[in-house]
Amino acid sequence: MSAPLESRQRILDRIQAATQPSAASAPSYAALPRSYIRKGALTAEARLTLLIERLREYDAEVVESSPEELPAAIAAQLTASGKRSFVAPAGLPADWMASGFDWKIDRGLTSAEIEQAEGVVTAAFCAVADSGTIVLHHSLTEGRRVLTLLPDWHLCILRASQVVETLPEYFDRCPQPPTLVTWISGPSATADIEMTRIKGVHGPRFLHVILVRDQASPAIKNN
Amino acid sequence: MSHPVETHAILDPTLAPPFPQAALNVLRNPQLRKNVSHAIDVIQGKRARLVAEKTDWQELRSAASAIRAHALEHLGFYLEQFEARCTAAGGHVHWAADADEARQIILDLLRKENASEVIKIKTMTSAEIQLNPFLEAQGIRAFETDLAEIILQLGDEEPSHIVVPALHINRSQVREIFARRMGLKNLSDDPQVLTAAARTYLRQKFLTIPTAISGANFLIAETGSVGVVESEGNGRMCLTLPRTMITLAGIEKVLPCFDNLEVMLQVLARSATGERMNPYTSLWTGVTPGDGPQNFHVVLLDNGRSPMLTRPVERQTLKCIRCAACMNACPVYRQTGGHAYGSVYPGPIGAILTPQLMHMQHAQSLPYASSLCGACYEVCPVKINIPEVLLELRSQVVNQERKQVLRFFDPMYLGLRIANLLFSRAWIFHAAQRLGRIGARLVTRKDGWIHSLPSVGGKWTQTRDLRGLPSQTFHEWWAARGKEAK
Repeated sequence: MSAPLESRQRILDRIQAATQPSAASAPSYAALPRSYIRKGALTAEARLTLLIERLREYDAEVVESSPEELPAAIAAQLTASGKRSFVAPAGLPADWMASGFDWKIDRGLTSAEIEQAEGVVTAAFCAVADSGTIVLHHSLTEGRRVLTLLPDWHLCILRASQVVETLPEYFDRCPQPPTLVTWISGPSATADIEMTRIKGVHGPRFLHVILVRDQASPAIKNN
Repeated sequence: MSHPVETHAILDPTLAPPFPQAALNVLRNPQLRKNVSHAIDVIQGKRARLVAEKTDWQELRSAASAIRAHALEHLGFYLEQFEARCTAAGGHVHWAADADEARQIILDLLRKENASEVIKIKTMTSAEIQLNPFLEAQGIRAFETDLAEIILQLGDEEPSHIVVPALHINRSQVREIFARRMGLKNLSDDPQVLTAAARTYLRQKFLTIPTAISGANFLIAETGSVGVVESEGNGRMCLTLPRTMITLAGIEKVLPCFDNLEVMLQVLARSATGERMNPYTSLWTGVTPGDGPQNFHVVLLDNGRSPMLTRPVERQTLKCIRCAACMNACPVYRQTGGHAYGSVYPGPIGAILTPQLMHMQHAQSLPYASSLCGACYEVCPVKINIPEVLLELRSQVVNQERKQVLRFFDPMYLGLRIANLLFSRAWIFHAAQRLGRIGARLVTRKDGWIHSLPSVGGKWTQTRDLRGLPSQTFHEWWAARGKEAK
């Protein structure tokens, strides 16, 4: 099996012959133009309003809640969904798992078990108002990737302090590059047949968001 | 309509007829032209609206263009960095110099998994290396999972666009394909119903087939991560549920850093589908214990890419992020659709990419499949100056052709050599003008127009009239006027 190694060298040699042989220099990378908008200009309130508007454009349902009322708000959403069986990420707070429903906590559930659940409740890492995007880093409260994929109904709990206005602001919130990311902008959709937008192909067809008003947090102040 | 979907020759540039000949099929098919222009109007409208709302669009384009150019300038460094980081994270990186090698690497990996079936995320790169027919011949069934790709696969059709590959097929044609191939007799042509049929068709395959193949929108050198941009969730299914994932990526797909995505993700969806952000974008890094495939392979494909790096003009081609904005904006693509380009990469980007991937040995008609209007350059989110590359490739084609002995007496080349002589000295030029005026009288009609020219000139007058030569040239008129003034 020496052929693959030869190919590697052959490709790299061809590239080196055609480009600058030196290692990428930090100065040339630092000099790249970055004059696009980095920080948003909206007030905290307007930012949340924009996010809600964008999410609703994608047919996601959004309700608001105070931190104290969150468990009740979750229970209300679960009841309104008409569904009974839910999966939860391993680290989901216990008081988010409303009583009266069948809960399966993901401590190594199989895909078949997750597939049988009707819905899933998770937290999120961040949300970007400008594009109505929810970002998951798949921590213990956000769940493994499969958890927010197979159930048809996804309830995502988002804190106001997690909402940024622009996409670059999300990247500013990543101290280290994450190993797993899913950016979700509305429920699964396609426009492959005559460019008609159809909601719900393979991912969850229903996305619900509870926006928790934890505004006192200093992390959200405009700069 | 007894057989609504036309069958097309494989989009293989080594076999495809020249563009003008291939385009005739489409130009004579009003249904196909209607399907194509409808789809393009919708995307163009959405794109224009969402680009207009972005006040820093030009700054984003400049940044995106600079990031891609920088990555290519240091491609070797970033590829090796990607390889090292991906490997450290538990992935396996393979290098394929050409399509043959890539197919063989993938086949060997599938054989090791004892795979008889494989699920696929839409990847134009796998279409470039004609992976599906190859796997089929080796006894491995590949199931496409993107809705458009299912339509094409079940309908034995070929992609005609790189983002919405089935845009040339309308809903009643989709209904016919699904009814026939899924055995659903009473299917309606409502896109909602057709989409639901595809969901049901694929659900069990996602849950049971343990091996998947994907392409990559981005490779991140800094982290060894791979990014895939999609809408339906079929991508997430393929890259989450199986045991083994094989990603096939062109060597040019690498970005230096994770946070370069803050630019690329802003320009890609807006340019491609006219959305602020596509529904799902996934990024993963090697293998994550307990989450997703535990065997992960990346196949880095050269297949004609590295020679394009040599000169700056052609190198631009590799900046492409496959958004398809150029084909949506192109007046030629709008009329001919994608199949006329005889390649899985149609439109303006295909016109520059395909001949170069073929080392300029095939698809030489493609650089001429453009009016050079520049609309493609204007919309390109990474600022590829496509007209400039088209002109460069045209000159390469001409240089190839005029070396051929047979072309020596070709009327066009003969004419151009004569023109070269005529324009070389003023007195020769003036003499030719006088002779030309005499000659032109033979073909000029009474209305002062030339309606048909003999020989190669006929190609011009086939579709246009030419004004006859005036009785006086500007020089002559100016000289005469000067004398009168004295």
